[in-house]
Amino acid sequence: MALGVRLAAREELATRPGRDTLLTVGLRWLLIAVSLAFLAALLLAPLATVFVTAFSHGLGAYLDTFDDPDTRSAIRLTLVSAAVVVPLNTLFGLAASWCIAKFEFRGKSFLLTLIDLPLAVSPVISGMLFVLLFGLQGWFGHWLQDHNISIIFALPGIIIAEMFVTFPYVARELIPLMQQLGNDEEEAAITMGAGAWMTFFRVTLPKVRWGLIYGVILCNARAMGEFGAVSVVSGHIRGLTDTMPLHIEILYNEYNFVGAFAVASLLTLLAVLTLVIKTSVERTGYKRR
Amino acid sequence: MPAERFRQPSVLPGFGLTFGFTTFFLSALVLLPLAALALMAGSMHWSDFVRVVLSARALGSYRLSFGASFLAATTNLAFGFVIAWTLVRYQFPGRKAVDALIDMPFALPTAVSGIALTSVFAANGWIGRYLAAFGIQVAYTWIGVTVALTLIGMPFMVRTLQPAIAEVQRDLEDAAETLGAGRLYVFRRIVLPTVLPAMLTGFTLAFARAVGEYGSVIFIAGNLPMKTEITPLLIVIHLQEFDYRGAAALGSVMLVISFVVLLTINLIHSWGRRRLVATAH
Amino acid sequence: MSITLDQVTKRYQGATVVNDVSLDIGDGEFFVLLGPSGGGKTTLLRAVAGLTGVDHGRISLHGRDVTHLAARQRGVGLVFQNYALFRHMTVTDNIEFALRVRRMRAAARRARRRELLRLVSLEGLDDRLPAQLSGGQQQRVAVARALAHKPEVLLLDEPFGALDAKIREELRRTIRQVQRELGITTMLVTHDQEEAFALADRIGIMNLGRLLEVGRPDDLYARPATRFVATFLGAANLLLARQSSRGLSFGSEPVSVPHVEATAHVREHEVVAVLRPEEIEVAPSREALKTTFIAEGVVDEILFSGALERLRVRLGDGAAGAHVVRSESSADEPFLEVTRAQHEQRVFPLAQGQAVTLGVRRLHVLPTPLSSFTVCAPTEELARRLAGHALLTELATRMKTRIAVQVEPSLETAEGDAGVGFGGATVIASRAGAARSVEWLLRRGAEEVLVLPENAPSPRRVLIHWSDESARRATLAVSASLLRHVSAEAVYIGILPQSGSLGAQRPLGMRALLDARSEAQAVHGLDMRTELRFGDVARELALRLAESPQQLLILGITDLTELDGRFASLLEEPRWPLLVVYQPAERPRAAEPARAAADLVRIA
Repeated sequence: MALGVRLAAREELATRPGRDTLLTVGLRWLLIAVSLAFLAALLLAPLATVFVTAFSHGLGAYLDTFDDPDTRSAIRLTLVSAAVVVPLNTLFGLAASWCIAKFEFRGKSFLLTLIDLPLAVSPVISGMLFVLLFGLQGWFGHWLQDHNISIIFALPGIIIAEMFVTFPYVARELIPLMQQLGNDEEEAAITMGAGAWMTFFRVTLPKVRWGLIYGVILCNARAMGEFGAVSVVSGHIRGLTDTMPLHIEILYNEYNFVGAFAVASLLTLLAVLTLVIKTSVERTGYKRR
Repeated sequence: MPAERFRQPSVLPGFGLTFGFTTFFLSALVLLPLAALALMAGSMHWSDFVRVVLSARALGSYRLSFGASFLAATTNLAFGFVIAWTLVRYQFPGRKAVDALIDMPFALPTAVSGIALTSVFAANGWIGRYLAAFGIQVAYTWIGVTVALTLIGMPFMVRTLQPAIAEVQRDLEDAAETLGAGRLYVFRRIVLPTVLPAMLTGFTLAFARAVGEYGSVIFIAGNLPMKTEITPLLIVIHLQEFDYRGAAALGSVMLVISFVVLLTINLIHSWGRRRLVATAH
Repeated sequence: MSITLDQVTKRYQGATVVNDVSLDIGDGEFFVLLGPSGGGKTTLLRAVAGLTGVDHGRISLHGRDVTHLAARQRGVGLVFQNYALFRHMTVTDNIEFALRVRRMRAAARRARRRELLRLVSLEGLDDRLPAQLSGGQQQRVAVARALAHKPEVLLLDEPFGALDAKIREELRRTIRQVQRELGITTMLVTHDQEEAFALADRIGIMNLGRLLEVGRPDDLYARPATRFVATFLGAANLLLARQSSRGLSFGSEPVSVPHVEATAHVREHEVVAVLRPEEIEVAPSREALKTTFIAEGVVDEILFSGALERLRVRLGDGAAGAHVVRSESSADEPFLEVTRAQHEQRVFPLAQGQAVTLGVRRLHVLPTPLSSFTVCAPTEELARRLAGHALLTELATRMKTRIAVQVEPSLETAEGDAGVGFGGATVIASRAGAARSVEWLLRRGAEEVLVLPENAPSPRRVLIHWSDESARRATLAVSASLLRHVSAEAVYIGILPQSGSLGAQRPLGMRALLDARSEAQAVHGLDMRTELRFGDVARELALRLAESPQQLLILGITDLTELDGRFASLLEEPRWPLLVVYQPAERPRAAEPARAAADLVRIA
């Protein structure tokens, strides 16, 4: 319907008297050309260069990269940390959005500000916060050392840093969606005798599922690709604490360009996949605000 | 439950559970580290703090970080507007694909865009070689930093502007046209003022994003102290030298600036709303 | 003339939304375009404003052809339904916008603004933002803004649509006042007939992209020419009646209403009569009736609605044959809508189920020759099937008329006599040898025969041709009647034989085309294109028809032998819907096609 209206408006505009002068048609194509050129230089060229460089020494060299045990361990570490971070952040997103969208309470805007914070803070600072907390000279540094627990320069640190950087995505997607959809259906379900869990799983979840998927894939993409925060807390120990983005940096700094871009090509494919899922979610009619 | 006192009654269940989990999660993950930062920075002697924060190297990094971010956001203001306008107003083959591609910098890991941009804009890269012919060196200079920050901020600008441009009512432009206004005049007097708040928001978002950016910049920046060293990198260097206090000092300066930026965005929002949405009567 | 539209046509994605509209609006006239939503009236208004281009036709403002002129060069003022005020500008800036564009000096702008604000009674609100005004005030600002540059023409697109009833009435008065004071030519689009009556000097009624009728409000109400206008403007009972030299009669019972101007030589035929609910009298018995009796009935429903009482009266057996066609009910039950004023209710109180006698004070006969359809087939089953034909039912629904069924076993052999007379247009299925059936039907009293191929789609173009100029009047009347109910373009095709010198033929042909066009326009308000072709008639028509399946051909003839002669190939087994209109050459046709002849019948 809305699309039909837009089409009609476009069609009307196209036939408007005095509209298609040489100047306006020229301007239109100039603007389109400028847009495309800008995006080609800044987006398409780098994307293409990832694959061109990765395959510059042939398929064999490309595949060899993934035979390297360090590369494999980086991929494994990335997957493991995402496997922990994404479900936890999804859980947080659901809880936070339910609490914020369904209830009126004091301090709500403070909670919202805290949720927005990681998006506004430099990833380096995000990582630094945990170094200050768990690092050797940090608050818990000595206590952790005494008990022989390592967080910084180890897997827990990476997971915590990724969690911090990506926890807003699910919540930010769900809160406005739940607010917009309102409480009527949930209240109806409750008055008909449905329990809390039943209301949540049978009424709320189906309503917000596209927003949830959207938030989860974004959270996943950002978690796997996080560089700055993880870089600060991981310590860059080859084969132990480097995730894929960190491994790219290591390979790149060793002038192993094929290797660096081969790993990068995997993450690029992940990004493309994320965009494809996002586009198909949008095609279901779900609209992001 | 103590929560009962400060929240309005509702028949919906689950407030205690979700509120408890949310506050616990946020306290552990956000408030606790923030407190650590504040204490760490606060435990410094005032003169030490000033020495770190206002050192020549720090000042040089601010100049680059904020200068390049400002330039990048300005570039995005121009090109982002053209792109958003093109996507909303014009029909051309491949429009939907281009629209989907806008989010790419957001989904792409920063390290990937960093090395990819560097190889494209290096002196022997696809684009860099043509610029080198004119004596323009992009990679490893402040120009490269600006290019990387432009890419990072682009989706924020375009995605903020798109709905705003789409919302400029056709009727308004039609009305202006029947009143005798030419297209340029309509654009200047009707379209621009309506889109202005969104432009400012987009600018602020892109700027804030760029100031904190790390991954995509360190590859293309030369990382030379005083010249091509961004503030986040300086923090990392302090951390690597186990100078936590210095890092915390620089970090708190950046945090304060981030807060100011967030505040600005909110002010712009409420200003734009107050101006355009019915309040009286 | 201030606004002149000449055959304006606009298509969106293949659909014709404005169909051949021609119209003259005089200086200082308040013209209201009225019609249901989706009727094309807003598109027409936007075309006049220059916000949309037209595919065909010309638009002139004060004698200046503006068809290809941009909106900003036309000098019109346009008021939008949702105000379209510039929200970031104050009232002052909004009103002065057009003046600033024209680089008027500040003092002059201020003076003009003061004058306009006084005109719409908004003095003192100069510095408000639109967001600080109520809906009614915003629309007043919009009117002032549209008038600022002293446009030659003021256009209003549903300007009261978003306002509630009370403010709407107030604003209506203001606009009428402003229009009178400035004497500005005004065109307003609305779907609200009350609004149209309140404001208009003249009303134009649009439906399906076509401008059906134009006239003064009281005239249109009392003497509509089409079913659509009769039912769209106020409530109306439409009845099929038979008209003869004795007058009008409804149903089988020979109750006749004396026709004031009954023409003696008229042969009996079917017409559509319009009975306004307020013109029907209800009485306990025939003797008590002060007006002309039309039927007995039983009160079925009584609704109290303030000043008026609305009744639904079921017609008794005697009048059951009278077909009542009403917009909302598809059921064939003969009901009449009646409204009575308070004093009538007091004189003769009614209860549900009470038997009453109905009389009529005045009625109006529509000048439409296509009163109803009678499906004709050799067997009951074939007839039923034809009656369910998609195009036929679509036409009948749009024309708010009935499809009667008549079984004629001798239709195919085309020998012997037909049963009873044929009401309205006769419809037969297309098959081999259709020509003989058509001829047989026309010989036996049918006036129009519609030949329908199976699965014929709704036509987008209607081709019109007559074999002889004496068939022109009847063919045009039927064409106009049909075209009011389909959204199709009308094209008249004149065909001259190839033989002889073209030079001598052409002026003759052109003249025939002009005559056809001007008669269609003047008498029926029907705008049609014209084409002149040379060659064999049947072949040229077949060629044109072959261009698209969504066409319908209306063929006017005066000589029945032509069906088997020059038109034989067309009638062999028509693949397009074909409507044959027969006008015997020797005597004038029964139905009076002209609007002028559609006289009001006054009784008692």
